[in-house]
Amino acid sequence: MTETGRYLYAIARDLDPQVLAEVPALAGGRLEVVEHRGLTAVVSSVDLEEYGEDGLRRNLENLPWLEEVARGHDAVVQATATRAPTAPLRLATICLDDDGVRERLDAWHDALEEVLDRVEGRREWSVKVFARPRPAQVAADSPPAAVSGAAYLQRKKAETQAREADEGTAVAVADEVHAALAARSVAGRRLAPQDPRLTGRADRMLHNGAYLVEADEGDAFATLVDELATAHPDVVVECHGPWPPYSFATLEQP
Amino acid sequence: MTGTVAVTERDPGRQIALVDLLDRLLGTGVVLAGDVVISLAGVDLVQVRLHALITSIRAEMVEPR
Amino acid sequence: MSEAPRLFPQRLETDAESVERDLFKLVLTIIELVRQLMERQALRRVDEGDLTDEQIEGLGTGLMHLEQAMEDLKARYDLTTEDLNIDLGPLGPLLSE
Repeated sequence: MTETGRYLYAIARDLDPQVLAEVPALAGGRLEVVEHRGLTAVVSSVDLEEYGEDGLRRNLENLPWLEEVARGHDAVVQATATRAPTAPLRLATICLDDDGVRERLDAWHDALEEVLDRVEGRREWSVKVFARPRPAQVAADSPPAAVSGAAYLQRKKAETQAREADEGTAVAVADEVHAALAARSVAGRRLAPQDPRLTGRADRMLHNGAYLVEADEGDAFATLVDELATAHPDVVVECHGPWPPYSFATLEQP
Repeated sequence: MTGTVAVTERDPGRQIALVDLLDRLLGTGVVLAGDVVISLAGVDLVQVRLHALITSIRAEMVEPR
Repeated sequence: MSEAPRLFPQRLETDAESVERDLFKLVLTIIELVRQLMERQALRRVDEGDLTDEQIEGLGTGLMHLEQAMEDLKARYDLTTEDLNIDLGPLGPLLSE
């Protein structure tokens, strides 16, 4: 008999389990709830061969597995978060059994209440700022003999300074956009810019922001993003949302 | 020229980009490992750990002041 | 979990035909890195002002030839600077373009 554990997707308050009725669980399991002290953990059973420590170490490096689990996890979080204040958990939070789940709920209780208060009635928005595609580099066609060594170094220095100036401008734009958006949100966070090979975007990501916005202020937020984009024609601004409050609900899980 | 803004309202069909999802679901975010594996005919032969290589080059290039 | 997931490990898939080009790409990347570090260091020294005009001229000419040599090598194998850039994860891209 293979060992099973309980996979935790999210913890919510005042959750009607019916909202989970049609939502698939991971690994063909069934979504269930574990309630404790007014909080509800959304869980399903998983095989520890796949989700235990060794299994995870293998599987987390397997992109198709990772994608399937991330999507499945997100589907459950979204179903929950749209209907009740929800603290999404990170991928692959596993407890051995329901007693273990209750222990976690107990240990995290106060922190969870705080998080749920913070995210209740609010949604996350993602705003990214990209540098505009640079004009094609001028081909280095000049034969070496045409330029003196000193002049070559001068040119290189000018190129470095231009690059640093661009960098400075980019940082300034990112700071300005972030400050403006954060001022109109409940909270704002700067996430690490994403590797172009993961985003599929060649342009440099200058800013990757997450903002917690009141659910009924979504339109106003989107309008502000539009205004910032217009004010900064030298960059490309992208906005996505509303999402569950992933970036604002993290408990540092021991 | 105005900046392009793509404002997307979530509907049941709209997905969060995988890279965004993984950034948020994984404690360490998504990182591409910086090792280069050289393989020949499908057989991994050499793994070049570039981190160490760069460190040693820099140490030698910068003159002590 | 402590380790970041390794997505898309860089794998230079070589076969008998492409092995030369692929290994060359790796070698060129290292050379390009060294070249860029040398240039940066040279500019620093020039800024510090403790070099003679002769030394500055020699440095500049040498680096200029090095740059041209790199362009020739890249052209021979049909590689762009983009092709040479390897991402070191937390350390950022290898070449600062």
